Amino acid sequence: MGNPNNFKRTLLGAACALALAGAGTAHATNWLLLQGTEDPGAAARANVWGFIQADYQKDFSDPSAAGQYVPPKMLGPDLDSQDGFNISRARIGVRGTGFPIDSHINYFLLLEMGNNGITAGNGAFARLTDASVTLNYIPGARIRAGLFKTPGSEEALQGIQTFDYINFSEPANQLLLERLPPRSYTANKPALTEAQLQSGSTLNGFKTPVGAFRDVGAQVFDAFDVGNDWEVSYAAMIGNGNGIEFSNYDGEYDKYLYLSGEKKFGGKGPRAEGLKFFAWGQWGKRLLDNTNDSTANAKLYDRNRAGLGLKYLKKPFRFTAEYITADGMIFAGPDKPSFTFASTNGADAKASGWYVEGGWYIPKTKFELDARYDTVDLFKGRTDDHTFSKWTLGAQYHLNPKTRLTLNYEIRNFECTASTTPCTNANKNLDGVGNKVGVQLTAIF
Amino acid sequence: MLNFLRTLFLTLSSLLIVTAAPAALSAEPSMADYKYVLHIDDMDPSKQELVLNNVHNLLDAYPPGEVEIEVVAYGPGLRLLFADNVNAKRIESLSMSGVRFSACGNTLKGMTKLLGEAPKLNPVATVVPGGIVRIGQLVKQGYIYIKP
Repeated sequence: MGNPNNFKRTLLGAACALALAGAGTAHATNWLLLQGTEDPGAAARANVWGFIQADYQKDFSDPSAAGQYVPPKMLGPDLDSQDGFNISRARIGVRGTGFPIDSHINYFLLLEMGNNGITAGNGAFARLTDASVTLNYIPGARIRAGLFKTPGSEEALQGIQTFDYINFSEPANQLLLERLPPRSYTANKPALTEAQLQSGSTLNGFKTPVGAFRDVGAQVFDAFDVGNDWEVSYAAMIGNGNGIEFSNYDGEYDKYLYLSGEKKFGGKGPRAEGLKFFAWGQWGKRLLDNTNDSTANAKLYDRNRAGLGLKYLKKPFRFTAEYITADGMIFAGPDKPSFTFASTNGADAKASGWYVEGGWYIPKTKFELDARYDTVDLFKGRTDDHTFSKWTLGAQYHLNPKTRLTLNYEIRNFECTASTTPCTNANKNLDGVGNKVGVQLTAIF
Repeated sequence: MLNFLRTLFLTLSSLLIVTAAPAALSAEPSMADYKYVLHIDDMDPSKQELVLNNVHNLLDAYPPGEVEIEVVAYGPGLRLLFADNVNAKRIESLSMSGVRFSACGNTLKGMTKLLGEAPKLNPVATVVPGGIVRIGQLVKQGYIYIKP
């Protein structure tokens, strides 16, 4: 993973070799195909679908000695309370083949109306999260254009309605769920007391929606049956690098590469069984003004991400592991829109993280037990190097295949790990970060 | 001369195949005790799976040779017999078990006009002049009509 260019070349070479090998009758259950294609000859003209996730969460964190709170101690996206009910996602969409006797073209449209980082604080009751058209004319090189999930991390790329936990892992939340920088310098938000929060002061300094693991651009992709139930998939994408926003104001484009190989065990749809190995990389640049000098002097910083992992699913067991590395634009918290955590700036810092998770579908019952450990090391080697780690213990009850109840208990350990003054100060706030419990009801239609 | 003979042979062979196919479909004497015609004209993709499940269940329900099944597809339901249909392999497998699949020629003409080219059909499908006519012929021959 060390040299991003070597990694990119390897992925590109493998993708080209596959394309030259010729497309098979690829129609399998992977996220690229599930989200970007329709069943040929059998797609609806307009299949209406969506899902609702209603939840209750309670954060047991304590305020600092000064009686103040920081974002990890509050519930997102509003960051003004430690317990409460929320509609974290309410999405409705339509997908299909507009001209059903022509399987060469399909589309995917999805709207978010829940209360989360996509909608909250942006004055919009609904946001478009997906709007894409796929052209399936060239064997081995389907083309998808528009707004959609970028090829990348398994946790980010998978359909969120099938995600087995209420909250993201810390690597996905800190390194992949992008908070796009404001166009001009914006000062850090201070920690706030309960009274300040209740009177309307906010801990969120960002002005635009989260990136939602998405981009506007064009992608070439396909999957190939290579025999013995093995399927190889690839994707190469170029996009604005501005999340679900549509402009490309920095004039730079993000590039994405993805490669996976999966041994298929059977089934179809998002719960298809198999053993998948995957690797991915994303390379982009961001404009950031982090100098408090009342002058428009934004600079371009690299934002590179890469990862590899595996996922195994064969009921009654599930296992996933992924390692992610990040170079540039390291998020320092919603209260730090200038990307400055304590003494140093995240714009040119490095980070890495990983997670492992597993599930046991208790045979002959509707219950499932889940457990996950995740950790992220941010600002590596800096004077404010810190680590966020957590265990998530979960149980799910599947009322039916499309409706389930999820219970999660998070045991969190967030700390600034360097033995320096910036860490001493940071830990005054982080010491009080406690555990969190949540219950979520998911209904897919 | 050799080329002329070869062309003549190919032309005659083609004509024989074209003219013989409908005849073979329309009046096959059958020893089967039960004969079913399943009809699909639906846009709904779930109907495709339902029809194929019905066929599968019928084959399971009778001893070999005791049931004869033909699926007739027309209108939007003709998509079931497209070469790239997601169920193509299953259809080919059912065909090997003796199930016949008939594609409506009238629908095919209409779709060809709309698409600008003829849609490619599953090789196991046989084009009949009219799907609805074919159903009528089969019912007259004693087939049980099913529309899932």
